[in-house]
Amino acid sequence: MIEFRNISKVYKMGEVEFVALKGVFITVRQGEFLSIMGPSGSGKSTLMNIIGCLDTPTEGFYYLEGENVAGLTFDQLSTIRNRKVGFVFQNFNLLPYATAYENIELPMLFNGKKAGARRQRVSELLEMVGLSPWARHRPTEMSGGQQQRVAIARALAMDPPIILADEPTGNLDSKSGHEIMEIFSRLWKGGRTILMVTHDPAIAAFSQSTIRLLDGAVQQDGAAT
Amino acid sequence: MRMQLLHLYWNEFRKRRKKTSLITFAIAWGALSLLLLMSFGRGLSNAGSVSFKGLGSTMIMVTRGQTSKPFQGLPRARRIHIHMEDLELLKRQIPGIALISPEANNSHDLSYRGKESNRSVNGVYPCFAEMRSQIPEAGGRFINDLDQEKARRVAFIGWSVARELFGDTDPVGKELRIEQTPFTVIGVMKKKQQSSMYQGPDSETVYIPFSTFCQIDFQRFLDRIHIRPAHPGDALFMENQVRRVLGRKYRFADDDANAVNFWNTIRDYETGAKIFKGIEMFLSVIGALTLLIGAVGVTNLMYAVVKERTREIGIKMALGARRRHIVMQFFLETFAIFFKGTLWGALIAFNIVSLVNLVPVGYDDFGIEAYLLRPIFSFDILIVFLVVLFVLVFISGIFPALRASRQNPIEALRYE
Ligand SMILES: Nc1ncnc2c1ncn2[C@@H]1O[C@H](COP(=O)(O)OP(=O)(O)O)[C@@H](O)[C@H]1O
Ligand SMILES: [Mg+2]
Repeated sequence: MIEFRNISKVYKMGEVEFVALKGVFITVRQGEFLSIMGPSGSGKSTLMNIIGCLDTPTEGFYYLEGENVAGLTFDQLSTIRNRKVGFVFQNFNLLPYATAYENIELPMLFNGKKAGARRQRVSELLEMVGLSPWARHRPTEMSGGQQQRVAIARALAMDPPIILADEPTGNLDSKSGHEIMEIFSRLWKGGRTILMVTHDPAIAAFSQSTIRLLDGAVQQDGAAT
Repeated sequence: MRMQLLHLYWNEFRKRRKKTSLITFAIAWGALSLLLLMSFGRGLSNAGSVSFKGLGSTMIMVTRGQTSKPFQGLPRARRIHIHMEDLELLKRQIPGIALISPEANNSHDLSYRGKESNRSVNGVYPCFAEMRSQIPEAGGRFINDLDQEKARRVAFIGWSVARELFGDTDPVGKELRIEQTPFTVIGVMKKKQQSSMYQGPDSETVYIPFSTFCQIDFQRFLDRIHIRPAHPGDALFMENQVRRVLGRKYRFADDDANAVNFWNTIRDYETGAKIFKGIEMFLSVIGALTLLIGAVGVTNLMYAVVKERTREIGIKMALGARRRHIVMQFFLETFAIFFKGTLWGALIAFNIVSLVNLVPVGYDDFGIEAYLLRPIFSFDILIVFLVVLFVLVFISGIFPALRASRQNPIEALRYE
């Protein structure tokens, strides 16, 4: 489903070049739950961003569901971000001036779903993350755990096959963190492919397998746990 | 674009807007200036052409002159007079004369019930009124064909003469004495603006039938001949024809510009109209520049807004926003600012124009106020205004909006 062949990413800051990923090969099969660990600055987020088509590799080939992503236009990549992947960020990244309902609805607005279908889907998702009473509240009125649940609901709005979670529990207390992880487990059991970055082995324990990054390279010990 | 998306954009605009009041004011000021300058410019232009028409806008006036070059052995500086017979000659020899009238005038003592005055009395044909835009007040009339034929003692008087001799009473039907000869007043001239004249304003003149004039005041020469060509476009051609025909009779060169003199109001009118149009355009450009300054302000503001919302743009991109979704948001915000400012500016402009038009303007002294106090809005002004506005909205909105949409999603998400 996700295949990286010799992916490298180099950031140029003026004269200085910084190699964030070097020669990464990974393959993620459909329905896998993979966690990515590694020290800060090792390139985990960069990897996730490339998988989610927010960023493009400097070198190498990336196949998403068999399709080479290189050379797609911005709007084509937007369509992939919209339909194939759902992002969950460490800092939630909810729109501050939109309610929980509106945040969840947003991906469907970019896609042009019918109003009735949107309403149905948003209430389904709110119910799934247990926030139906919070539909009309803004992010600032909610706890971190609640915000992250809104973010998960939003990531699921277009029913994407892949969930990309970059330290989803990083800003949460352990109780909320576990609640979040329970949702991910359910999603995984429902057949979704999940990639998750984390520092916490207890969180990584929810996943099927783990890969480790160090200085932009994969350390090959990622056998199933 | 989905309604819900517009709703979200509207909320983001309302909740997160930078202080827009100053910019809105700048746009309002610019729109106000542009609208006012265009409408006052148009008023000026209109007043200009109205007062040109006061003399008569489509006529050629021929008066005596003096040769400026020798011709067939004759010396220069010969006086050339025009005569009554020339009228028939011109009519016969030049096709395309629609109207033609002689005019002879002299100052005479006027009196009515002990009030006295000395004013110019002019003998003319009935068609003179049409060429010279002389319209009678209700209840009166101009000289007609029968008056001319029977040499009736009737007079059509300017409104200043009427006020001077008759005060508040209606002069029509009253007996006016011209050098002791009684005349019946048949009409008073309706007030009009007149910016150019010979011998004095029409308002201070008494008109009588040409035939009657010849009985009370013997003159060998005509003072003027007035001609209206059938087609105003033929004005210059007509002028040359008249010069040629008279040149043959009085023996002066076809290209002698001073042998007889012409006052070609058609040509004057066209030149005048061009000058006024020029002024009008100049004013409009100044107004547009004022609005442009506001537009530059909006662009600056929008760049700041784009910067402020960088993260939100990144979030939207991560959720699958296409370029046009981002472009649209900032474009619509630009439009909203312009819309609000313009609404205020236009409201104030319309009120000012309506109020100024309430100020009464006199016609006697065709002073400055007739030019300045009659601003006007017309359909084409509105169209020009909207075109200028939309061009400015587009120019000032497009660059910030493009910058917003061309950002790298990762950079945008990392922006603090
Ligand atoms: N847009 C960028 N420009 C420059 N350097 C970047 C950029 N994104 C990431 N980096 C650098 O690349 C390295 C890897 O970053 P990242 O993938 O965010 O690491 P991690 O998520 O593992 O902490 C870091 O040292 C970071 O400073
Ligand atoms: Mg990171």
